[in-house]
Amino acid sequence: MTQPIKPGGADESYVVENLLQILWKALSAVQLYSSNNKIYLQAVDALRGALTLVWQRLDELQLQVSESALLWEDKKVLSQEDKSDSIPWTLFKDGVRSLTLSPGVEDREIIAFLHVIKDARLLAAEDPDDLLTLLWEEDFQHLRYGFVEISSDDVPRIQADTPVSQSESTPVSPGEIRGRLLREVEASGDTPEGVVDVDDFHSTLYFLDDWEVEYLTGEIDQEYQQNLRAKVLEILFEVFELQQNTKVRGEIISIIDSFLPHLLGVGDFQSVTLVVRRLRKLLDETQELTPDHRQAITALPVKLSNPTALGQLIQSLDDAAVQPTKDDIADFFGELGPHVLDTVLAWMPKLTNERVRETLRQVAERVAQEHPEQVVTALKTSDTAVLLQTLQLTSSLKVARLVPDFGRLLRHADTEIRRAAVDALGAIGSASAMKQLERSVEDEDRGIRIASIQYCVQHRYPGVLQKVEAVISGRALRGADLTEKKPFFEAYGLFCGNAGVDPLYQMLNAKRMFRRKDDPETRACAALALGKIGTPEARAALEKAKGVKDPLVRNAVGSALREIGL
Amino acid sequence: MTEPKVPAPKPRKSLALAMESSEGSIREHGRDFLIAFYSALRSLKLYPVENDQVQRALDSIFDTARSLYEVEGALELRVSHEFLYVNSVRLRLNLNNYATFSHVLTTLRQCGIGMVDVEEGVQRREWQIFLSQLLAYAPSDGVPDLSGLWQRMAQGGITHILLKPPPEHDEAFGDSEEAKDVAKRAYERSVAVTKELIGGVRMGRTASAKKIKRAVQSIVDQVLRNEVSLVGLTVVRGYDEQIFTHSVNVCIFSVSIGKRIGLTKLQLYDLGMAGLLHDFGKSRIPLEILNSEVPLTEEQEEVVRTHPWQGVLALFGLRGHGEIPYRAMVASYEHHMKTDLSGFPKTIEPRQLSMFSKIVAVANGYDTPPVRSFGKGVPVRPDEVLREMRENKDLGYDPILVKALINLLGVYPVGTCVILDTYEIAVVHGANPDLAQLHRPIVRIVVTAEGGRTDGSALVDLASVDETGNYRRSIIKVTEGLDYGINMSDYSV
Ligand SMILES: [Fe+2]
Repeated sequence: MTQPIKPGGADESYVVENLLQILWKALSAVQLYSSNNKIYLQAVDALRGALTLVWQRLDELQLQVSESALLWEDKKVLSQEDKSDSIPWTLFKDGVRSLTLSPGVEDREIIAFLHVIKDARLLAAEDPDDLLTLLWEEDFQHLRYGFVEISSDDVPRIQADTPVSQSESTPVSPGEIRGRLLREVEASGDTPEGVVDVDDFHSTLYFLDDWEVEYLTGEIDQEYQQNLRAKVLEILFEVFELQQNTKVRGEIISIIDSFLPHLLGVGDFQSVTLVVRRLRKLLDETQELTPDHRQAITALPVKLSNPTALGQLIQSLDDAAVQPTKDDIADFFGELGPHVLDTVLAWMPKLTNERVRETLRQVAERVAQEHPEQVVTALKTSDTAVLLQTLQLTSSLKVARLVPDFGRLLRHADTEIRRAAVDALGAIGSASAMKQLERSVEDEDRGIRIASIQYCVQHRYPGVLQKVEAVISGRALRGADLTEKKPFFEAYGLFCGNAGVDPLYQMLNAKRMFRRKDDPETRACAALALGKIGTPEARAALEKAKGVKDPLVRNAVGSALREIGL
Repeated sequence: MTEPKVPAPKPRKSLALAMESSEGSIREHGRDFLIAFYSALRSLKLYPVENDQVQRALDSIFDTARSLYEVEGALELRVSHEFLYVNSVRLRLNLNNYATFSHVLTTLRQCGIGMVDVEEGVQRREWQIFLSQLLAYAPSDGVPDLSGLWQRMAQGGITHILLKPPPEHDEAFGDSEEAKDVAKRAYERSVAVTKELIGGVRMGRTASAKKIKRAVQSIVDQVLRNEVSLVGLTVVRGYDEQIFTHSVNVCIFSVSIGKRIGLTKLQLYDLGMAGLLHDFGKSRIPLEILNSEVPLTEEQEEVVRTHPWQGVLALFGLRGHGEIPYRAMVASYEHHMKTDLSGFPKTIEPRQLSMFSKIVAVANGYDTPPVRSFGKGVPVRPDEVLREMRENKDLGYDPILVKALINLLGVYPVGTCVILDTYEIAVVHGANPDLAQLHRPIVRIVVTAEGGRTDGSALVDLASVDETGNYRRSIIKVTEGLDYGINMSDYSV
């Protein structure tokens, strides 16, 4: 997209002024919008267009920089008095005095230049960078800048050396010099010296062979692929081991101490894991540790796993501020020890990042599997969110050891907790888990009642019969719907044996004495239960009811008979 | 309203095409062109024109030039300082091409050519004549001069290849005074920053990270632009305490070696930083040991040997403002280790020395105190140090990197005093940019054949030959300048 030129053509300075106005606008766009924003893209297009116009008239554009203006051929082409938002000032302040753009700059570099200006404006005095260091790093090919050194430090100038004190024998007159030279040459014979004899000098000796080039390329690659942080850490540990000096060791411990947050900040979990492992190794293997050092070293991993520190870390993972691999995260938590479980569980419900949640869930599972006692502790928490996570964890892990701790949870005031506890027990499915579950078939919550009875059915737990019997013969199910009734009757049928045939027959045929006639749903459920009993007696009872009028009941009888088979 | 007076736009040739072409494509085509240029020169030198190989080489240069012209709309080959530019894009040196580039560069320089401007419609025949003339042409008295070549080109009927001399400030071998001064300021500031940095540790102060960064950036710039001047400054002694100048020298040599093995500018910065900080651990060594005038006791030696790991700890103290200098830490720890891992400090586990550490070790080995501190004891001749580094495998330097150092310094390193077969005495100014002539450096004549002192301003290329093809001057012997009252560094400042 090009800017329209003034009708009647424009002179060169107009084109330059136009460019700088557009440049200034583009800078605002760069400062305010991200690079995929429409306004940003339009600004960049306009800037390219303006540069194209300039290149139709000039071979290159040389600008001088003053405090408040950019000058072209001594004429102000961009004037900005307000320093806070001024391109000239940003350049001038750090020492830039001239700027030369040449064709090609529009491809990439002009945009990079604007980003540099933007970044430079955000720098504080104590930052390791200024405009000049940032410009340098861009290695521009089409944008040159001239600058002065701002720092007024008095750097002494190099002078040629002061004359060497000359010994008596140092020749001074030309004659003496020549005499000495002739003697020296004569004494040496006529073999020229140097690093090599010129005779056998072969230039190819100093060209690199193919394999040498290969070797160097490989080495350079390696230089940039190595994990420098890990390498430096290894050095620290090596020095620690080799130096017995208490002061040196103390310094290394404190370096590592302050280095850890930095490593976590950049997401280098691998290095942190390495540190924790090496620290443990030091404790195990280094005999001559002072008690102070021993204590300090022991304290380091503990610091890492305190809930606040760990919370910070999980937060940064969730924000995707750092993105270590799943394995690195798992290794890291593995090193910290089982007590991180509480914190991890506490964070699980707050996580927004699916990948992180999944990773932490695996971490928690691993800890729970290896250290069930940690889960027992976690189950004691008063924090329902954590408790819920813990219960979900135990459901997926089916840790039978935990069953005794559930009694309390099944009486928990929070329905969700009770439900999770039921699910956990259901998942565990052992006889003792089912025993715990028994009382929940009478829970005040319908969902919990249904789930509990379903688990009993699923795991064929006859112990529940007494409770079931009470439920179906009492009033409990009166208001219940089919979904709830069905599993209870199913359980009854499964566990009651022939003893249940008669009462069920009564219900099916609605002949119970002194009772309101059972509704068709209950009657259908009774048919279902008879089907589950499956004995000839149950079959006989069903046969007798074949002719009932209610279609729901008749259907139920039919399918129950089919279940028993011929 | 009067129409403003508008100068007609200067149209650039095929602007649209030029816009399309990216820098990358110029680099690629430019490289192909240069390789063709080099091969043509070589084959013409070895075979008669009718030879197949010559004919193929000429085809190739004709084709590559034409395709560059088609994409770019122009073809200019320019020599500036130590770089070749094709249409104002600097061609990057890398491991696979630097010898080729350097040869073309030298050939052009020796003929006094600053720019080759190829016009549209250039004929294959013109290439052949031009290249043959380049080979045959030897400027009188070794002083690059274009006029003779211009004449021959005109006689040969070449109309599409125009030659221009280098811009005034671009001397053939020496850097301009202005450039020299820029290099000097970079050196001075780097020494000052190092002093602030290392000296600051003793006073519990730290130097500004920005200043350190700028110092290393300026050294990289100067190695890329005015390498000869900058390397020349490494022979200056007595400018400041040896530990500061040594740090800067190691930085310079490291970056120069890095340049030769194809590191990028940003990698050179990393390497330079590692070089500058490699002895930072010495800031923790007591001054009375560091500055001792008498030989150190075994115990004191032990203390000095702690500086590599002390450096690692001390460098941790530098963070807080800016990036943690990991590479410098590794280089500090490893720069006295030999390739077989002997040396110091001793290590527990086997390790792989990092490439940058090995480079810093080589730079450090060359700029090592006995060589440079002429003030103390017997000075060691730079060429001897270099020879020792190359031949004595026990020193444990990476031989390929030593090769790169010799590439940089030449067989006779800068500052070496030599006697010529003309019975003149000369001081080596810099390695010959033509790698094939590493044993024939660029020198300054400091004593005439009659034994009279000169101001040393004239630079002479020892590779230059007379009409009969014989070298005008050759080195017959390396000598000790001090014996003749010659201060080597008088000529590098
Ligand atoms: Fe050292």
